[in-house]
Amino acid sequence: MNSLKYFIINAIETMLRMVPFPTKTGVIKIGNPDRNSPVFLTCNFHLTVERVKRALKGMDCYLLVAKSKGINVWCAATGGLFTHHDVISVLKTSGIEELVDHRKVILPQLAATGIEGKIVRQKSDWHVIWGPVYAKDIPAFIRNKLKKNVQMRVVRFPFVQRVEMAIAWAFPISSIAALLILPFWRHLILPLSALIWGMSFFIFLAFPLFENRLSARGKRIGFIVFDFGRGGIQLALWGFFLLLVFGYAAAFHQVNANFILRWSFITLVTTLLFSMDLMGSTPVFKSSLHEDRLLKISIDNNKCKTAGFCELVCPRNCYEIDRHAHNTTIPRADYCVQCGACIVQCPYDALFFKGSDGKILTPEKIRKYKLNLSGKHLVKVG
Amino acid sequence: MSTFILMKILESAPSRYDRGIKMLTFGGVEKAYDNLVAPVKKGDTVLDIGCGTGALTMRAARKGARIKGIDINVDMLDIAKRRINDAGFSGTVEFYEMGVGEMDTLKTASYDVIMSGLCFSELTNDELRFTLKEVKRLLKPGGYFLLADEVIPENILFRVLQWLIRFPLVIITYIFTQTTTHAVRNITLKIRGIGFQIQSKKLSFLKSFIELTARKPEER
Ligand SMILES: C[S@@+](CC[C@H](N)C(=O)[O-])C[C@H]1O[C@@H](n2cnc3c(N)ncnc32)[C@H](O)[C@@H]1O
Ligand code: SF4
Ligand code: SF4
Repeated sequence: MNSLKYFIINAIETMLRMVPFPTKTGVIKIGNPDRNSPVFLTCNFHLTVERVKRALKGMDCYLLVAKSKGINVWCAATGGLFTHHDVISVLKTSGIEELVDHRKVILPQLAATGIEGKIVRQKSDWHVIWGPVYAKDIPAFIRNKLKKNVQMRVVRFPFVQRVEMAIAWAFPISSIAALLILPFWRHLILPLSALIWGMSFFIFLAFPLFENRLSARGKRIGFIVFDFGRGGIQLALWGFFLLLVFGYAAAFHQVNANFILRWSFITLVTTLLFSMDLMGSTPVFKSSLHEDRLLKISIDNNKCKTAGFCELVCPRNCYEIDRHAHNTTIPRADYCVQCGACIVQCPYDALFFKGSDGKILTPEKIRKYKLNLSGKHLVKVG
Repeated sequence: MSTFILMKILESAPSRYDRGIKMLTFGGVEKAYDNLVAPVKKGDTVLDIGCGTGALTMRAARKGARIKGIDINVDMLDIAKRRINDAGFSGTVEFYEMGVGEMDTLKTASYDVIMSGLCFSELTNDELRFTLKEVKRLLKPGGYFLLADEVIPENILFRVLQWLIRFPLVIITYIFTQTTTHAVRNITLKIRGIGFQIQSKKLSFLKSFIELTARKPEER
């Protein structure tokens, strides 16, 4: 029964993944917690809360739900809608301080892009511990005495998540397309929806096949296309869908110009729609919406004290820390998704972004305005 | 790393925020604010909770009060600071990036007036309870608490009416700002609950907008 409900919630909210889904904030008791039980915190995106609750099943602990305007942890924290204020607020106002004796709160690692552990510490007595990226790793994280291995630190884009993203794209696009053509081409709704869902699943399921061809850096071409460097793969994709259409036409219709023109146009538009922010829909590439923002993660080794926070919060495992030689390097900088987590958390301000034109985006700016506005602020920084 | 639409939402939020709220109250806030600051006197120390772009702050500054404005939105605060500077009040007004949950760091009984415009409707229930507790602690005996906000009408008929009118507006506002507010429930009762006396109360917009002046009792 509960599983059924969980499944339905998951299905509906996956289809509507693109819209915020706020849920009630405050303390949730899991199992039979006592005064020493661990305290976890998450955002108030309904689906996330359901998933975290499920992951914590069987443990005795408290779960704090903090206000993130109903948006998932990573997007909200990176965009400045989930900040230390929201964390402090739930710590102070939910009554958790009366329920436990300790002052340690475990946050999802992806919140590190916007929540400053240091400020939470200064303004409340609470100590922030960066938990794993995915809630399902929480039990292992606890068994491991709150230590994370690499697997718990990195974002992945496995099959299930790709299916979810395929649905999250296909549902709104096909709904809007259906509404748009309802007055004129009612009979096309079904084949068009089928095409959109098919394309979406094809693109996301085949992701591992072309993943390596996606360029994480390099000049983006003109309009809203995949970041394939030169837009070649869109063409290939479009060609593929055209072939399908022609094949269908040849098999069932007499090939007629009207049919071919119409469907060529429709497939082109849908291919472009899907390419809007495909990269941004994956956790393993940076969003391509801002072509002006090709930022390179950089380190000032004179300031770095090998404190290791960067390694702890980087979802792409870009860092390598040699604690004996007291040396921090970024050997895997090419994998960087420009989330800014490392910069925000570095206690010595040793990290920063460098723009392609040599301009610098400082930790202060990122902490204050988060990354949603850095496009604007980057221009001003000299 | 982010989903397209959500990122757009985040980026468009701050600058469009005020507009959305104004749409919800048909611009009627302006007049309400003018009336609300009536008890503020020259030299008063004032706290503006959720000062936003400084609409209330500015009105109190013109009356010669010393004001501390707190808000969690840095973009709003940037606008507020600019406005106050341009008006020449930077000597008497300070702004802090501070949420209501951090008000416990402020000094007890240090304000003559505490005011808040359209902020309570953005708070969670826990935050609201906490804020009222802090307002009580922070006000000097005899100090004023001034509130203008959207409320849920007590009368069921008005509640239905409010819902009917609000619903399309909420949709429009949501499209523009991706935010919505939660009208406050039973606020008069809650303010009485912390031992304050209600001095005046005005309901408008079909009893869905409250302008309220309350007072912390003098110590006996
Ligand atoms: C609708 S604006 C009103 C601003 C201003 N008082 C006015 O009337 O123009 C509400 C403000 O409350 C702020 N706010 C929301 N939650 C808050 C919190 N927990 N602590 C402090 N301010 C908060 C928002 O950042 C926003 O600026
Ligand atoms: S860059 Fe900063 S966080 Fe990373 S090891 Fe150096 S001091 Fe620590
Ligand atoms: S190196 Fe890049 S991906 Fe890793 S935390 Fe820093 S900004 Fe994010």
